[in-house]
Amino acid sequence: MGELVVDKHVKYILSVEKRKDSFESVVLEHLRMNGAYWGLATLDLLGKLDALDSNEVIEWIMKCQHESGGFAGNIGHDPHMLYTLSAVQVLALFDKLNVLDADKVANYISGLQNEDGSFSGDEWGEVDSRFSYLAICCLSILHCLDKINMEKAVNYIASCKNVDGGFGCTPGGESHAGQIFCCVGALAITGSLHHVDKDLLGWWLCERQVKSGGLNGRPEKLPDVCYSWWVLSSLIMIDRVHWINKDKLVKFILNCQDTENGGISDRPEDAVDVYHTYFGVAGLSLLEYPGLKAIDPAHALPVDVVNRIFFQK
Amino acid sequence: MREESMILKGNSLSLLNEFELILESDPLIDEVGFIHPSQFVTLNKEASSSLEHEDANFWSRDHKLAISTDVLLPLYKAVKDVFMHAISQYKSHENLSDASWDEGNLESEVMKHSKALLLLSCDFGTAWNFRKLIVSKKQHMLIFLDELFLSALVLSCSPKSEKAWCHRRWVIKMLAGKCSTMQVIVGKESELVEKIAERSKMNYRAWNHRCWLVSYMTTEQVLHELKKSRNWAGLHVADNSCFHYRTRLMLRIREDHCHKLEDGTSDGNDEIYRIWQEELDWNEALIKCYVGREALWLHRRFLSLSWIRHFTTNVGDTSNYRVCKSSINADIGVFMDNELHLANSCSTIPDNEFEDFQAQAIYSATYILWLTKQISDSQGIELQEKPNLGSLRTMLNTACPERSSLWDISTRISGKCDEGLKENRYQRR
Ligand SMILES: [Zn+2]
Repeated sequence: MGELVVDKHVKYILSVEKRKDSFESVVLEHLRMNGAYWGLATLDLLGKLDALDSNEVIEWIMKCQHESGGFAGNIGHDPHMLYTLSAVQVLALFDKLNVLDADKVANYISGLQNEDGSFSGDEWGEVDSRFSYLAICCLSILHCLDKINMEKAVNYIASCKNVDGGFGCTPGGESHAGQIFCCVGALAITGSLHHVDKDLLGWWLCERQVKSGGLNGRPEKLPDVCYSWWVLSSLIMIDRVHWINKDKLVKFILNCQDTENGGISDRPEDAVDVYHTYFGVAGLSLLEYPGLKAIDPAHALPVDVVNRIFFQK
Repeated sequence: MREESMILKGNSLSLLNEFELILESDPLIDEVGFIHPSQFVTLNKEASSSLEHEDANFWSRDHKLAISTDVLLPLYKAVKDVFMHAISQYKSHENLSDASWDEGNLESEVMKHSKALLLLSCDFGTAWNFRKLIVSKKQHMLIFLDELFLSALVLSCSPKSEKAWCHRRWVIKMLAGKCSTMQVIVGKESELVEKIAERSKMNYRAWNHRCWLVSYMTTEQVLHELKKSRNWAGLHVADNSCFHYRTRLMLRIREDHCHKLEDGTSDGNDEIYRIWQEELDWNEALIKCYVGREALWLHRRFLSLSWIRHFTTNVGDTSNYRVCKSSINADIGVFMDNELHLANSCSTIPDNEFEDFQAQAIYSATYILWLTKQISDSQGIELQEKPNLGSLRTMLNTACPERSSLWDISTRISGKCDEGLKENRYQRR
């Protein structure tokens, strides 16, 4: 079995930003903020965050903030909860949360809570349990959870639970590992995991492991490295991670590396991208792969960063 | 060097003009695709009628448009630039509330460029947002319908586009309550999902949209959808999303029925009972026909558990279900006997076609363990005739040793077993 090619992944991450020569790389500029989080969180887990000029990144992030307090995916774009959490997470990585007006960001988020406790992603009103996670995680990092109606927020998430123990986008929506991570993560942060049927959900989650050792996100789907994060972090939060075969999963992730040029893909032999590189490394971190920083399964930030946020105030 | 980039820019602007002209001259284009330039030749050979447009970069006929992958990068850059320019002009004039500003013209610029941009970058949220902003100022039925048309066009080349599906929901929410043809619109939405799901397998976003529609459906529509989706599901037995859709429909039917019982407009469970029984029978037939399909067994878990909770008496149930309880008092033991019989018949592995049959054996045994655990966990009752969980566990431990902790916890539900799967049915090679 190969090992994690740390230096090559660092090189790959640093090179991604400079690549402006293909349609595929340019066309995703509207979510550059997410890209920044995936790339920088990977560097931090690999212990190489200092390979990059933080001032430049922070300056750019602050240019993406709107009057409303929310952040856009890039300069000149509209704000959305998706990018607001990524912006706050990146600032947390650099220990620069102090450049933020926390109240302003928190007001943006609390302004998006609806009467039934759910959250809209932005002013246009789409509702999704994912947005509940984004709101709760972000407010938790900013120490502002008191700005929302927590009881209603939790009850809404609980209403997205299905007969199979999983969670969907809205009440009655199909269970999906990504949605499950969001709902379990939000419930974990708010201390409401009693809403989860742990054995039932754990059962569904561990059935995501397929023969190759990889995890899929829904029944009958192919395994994909990003689910190493969504499924694994959920299993850890509900204390059922021993229900899957960890060694086989480590092997699967390592097999998805581009050992020549760095980066990790969704499946062996596919093209690499930052998104899967982050989720691969984050998954290995959850699996306690040697040499990696530990990651917090609910906040999706390195444990030392989370400790700094909560115990150094 | 500088001159060269000027020429490049000039070229991409003419590309952009050409692209937008094609879109404007045929507003009925309903399908877009990106193809390699070499495929243009093939397209031309197939073309029987005359082409509406053809050069090295674009190809269009019969309201279908193909864009050469060679021009995507310069085209995207040009479209994005003009779009960003248009919205910044729009915003600055809007803020000044300048009486002299040509609102109509700025709006049509934003609408034109956002359309071109979204065809190239389907999840460019800001472009969708500006369309929402402009359209909501108009509050005109036909303009809302145009938005549904555009989002369908985007979905024709990007069927998983989250923002395109989201745009449809926004439009439908705007129309809800104001529009007498809501039922027709919902019906058409459902058909669109089916059409897209046919080409784009296991598309979570598409099916999620269809589930979302259910709350806008009338009871009659829900029943019709249940009938209609059955055929599709039978042809796509690996698509879990369609079975989940049926779950959503069945739960809605039961909900409606409970309301009827509450207000006294119905007094029996017969209708619901029939629907559940038919689904169970149909699912059993599919399981026997399509060996080793996970989605079928998972659907059965839902059907059986809700059947037991709903139709059997010796179950401590929640108030929600008690309302619906009436004449049909089935026995949980009889039900389980039948399930064990099915599982038994699915656990023989012939020598040929080993893999599918092994999967079938594992799914069937897991199904029984899952169901037994759910019944005793959530209902707090003991099955009178327990399945032989010990032998199931032995079988599963051999077939899927990585889940041994799971098999352990699920068989901790102790008890003596009279009935069950015979261990030796599972032959390892
Ligand atoms: Zn993936």
